[in-house]
Amino acid sequence: MNPKPSPDSRLQQQLLRFAPGLFFVGLIVLWEAVCRLAQLPTFVLPAPSAIFHAFLNVEFSRWMEHLWATLSVALMGFAISIAISIPLAIAMMRSELLSRTLYPLLVVIQSTPVVAVAPLIIVLMGSDDPSRVLITCLLTFFPLVVSTATGINETPAELIELSRSLDAPIRRETWQIRIPYAIPHIFSGLKVAITLAIIGAVVAEFVAAEEGLGYFIQFSTSFFKIPQAFAGLFFLAFISLILFKSVQWVQQIFFGWSLPKKK
Amino acid sequence: MTQQHERAFVRMDGVGHRYDPAPDAPMAVQDINLEIHRHEFVAVVGPSGCGKSTLLRMVSGLLIPSHGEVSVFGKQVDGPRDDVGIVFQKPTLLPWLSVRKNVLFPLKHKYGRYNRQDEKRADELLAIAGLETFGDKMPDELSGGMQQRVGIVRALLLNPDILLMDEPFSALDAMTREQIGFDLLKIWNEQPKTVLFITHSISEAVLLADRVLVMSKRPGTVLDLIDIDLPRPRSADTIREPRFSELTDRIRKHIYEPEAVA
Repeated sequence: MNPKPSPDSRLQQQLLRFAPGLFFVGLIVLWEAVCRLAQLPTFVLPAPSAIFHAFLNVEFSRWMEHLWATLSVALMGFAISIAISIPLAIAMMRSELLSRTLYPLLVVIQSTPVVAVAPLIIVLMGSDDPSRVLITCLLTFFPLVVSTATGINETPAELIELSRSLDAPIRRETWQIRIPYAIPHIFSGLKVAITLAIIGAVVAEFVAAEEGLGYFIQFSTSFFKIPQAFAGLFFLAFISLILFKSVQWVQQIFFGWSLPKKK
Repeated sequence: MTQQHERAFVRMDGVGHRYDPAPDAPMAVQDINLEIHRHEFVAVVGPSGCGKSTLLRMVSGLLIPSHGEVSVFGKQVDGPRDDVGIVFQKPTLLPWLSVRKNVLFPLKHKYGRYNRQDEKRADELLAIAGLETFGDKMPDELSGGMQQRVGIVRALLLNPDILLMDEPFSALDAMTREQIGFDLLKIWNEQPKTVLFITHSISEAVLLADRVLVMSKRPGTVLDLIDIDLPRPRSADTIREPRFSELTDRIRKHIYEPEAVA
């Protein structure tokens, strides 16, 4: 009915496609312009060009060291969090007693600002990796438990009846019905948790660390190397984005069915 | 109605149930006496909340009645029985399994495995339902009507004696609904089962069933049990027969007149 899109609509489509990129570039150009025209000192607000230079001025191997320090803590915390929270959510779904007993404790942990607890954990456990990993765990744990439990409970009642009518063992009900049904929810939890893992690692570095991107930002700021601090911040944001995307990729590749269908 | 009426296959004797065990709690269903013959197709109609599904769950053994007794082939039903196939209102297929694997799911779920022969049987059943080319598709690639047919095929996999259907077509549009009704009769013809079919639709009940059980409002009791003496095979022409309207009218009276009086 509409074999050739009119030039107008084609323009509109192109605009839709490139709008996010254009907006981002525009923002950077505006930022650069404001800094230059207002002649803002770099310790107030560095221009993007200054940040870029600062980034290049730090040796690549230094970046990689800091990155590895942060990433290893974040990923370790994330992995331990997954290993504890998903089985725990399943156990809580199985046992009313366990869920009644533990849920209030989980809510208390979640309501406690981890940033405030972090110094105490460092005092208690020392300023090594284990305490940083623990801080990361505390931050990522709750969203994973909640999302897994939600998913498991949203299994259609009919399928549970089907399972009962087949007189199937309860472990198959869990593995073949409930857990797969929770997959989409687990992945929304994982996406929240992976970014929280980075936040946890950075918070831990703010409190006590000798390396890591959080430490790097803090120490650059304290020496008034503001462009360098910004460079660290952007690098961190970039890494966080990559991790978030990686979780999405894993879902796409291994659990494609769990994604909403594109039209 | 040319079926041989052997001895009662499913039998309900003074069956009643209250979900709340308190003695003054309301009954969901009460005083149900019913005999269903082997390979008979019985439809149940009644207003919402009259306990139609309760009846069905009692036959499957998922629910044990608080009053009376349900027996299948002379044996009291005292727990989930695996010789029933259940079809739900929604297809409830597993979105991560292909159509064929969804059909094989009851085996995988009950025994943890299935063999080549089972796969062959799944394909044969799919073919009866006209779905032979869809075995490798994923459920969301199928229309609602096709998904529900997969649901029926899944219920048939373990070759159950009894097929329990809980408003299986109510989520479908009117045209699909009529077609899938005839498809069901075709499947039933090739794989004879004792069917207990719950529906909101009076015409659907008359069109498909050998007998229609009309239930009252809660607490659900039997208002009428009507022999549907329309010839088989039934088709779209059946609807135009005067006998069809007589039968639907008779059921409609039961459903609407008590309300007019009240």
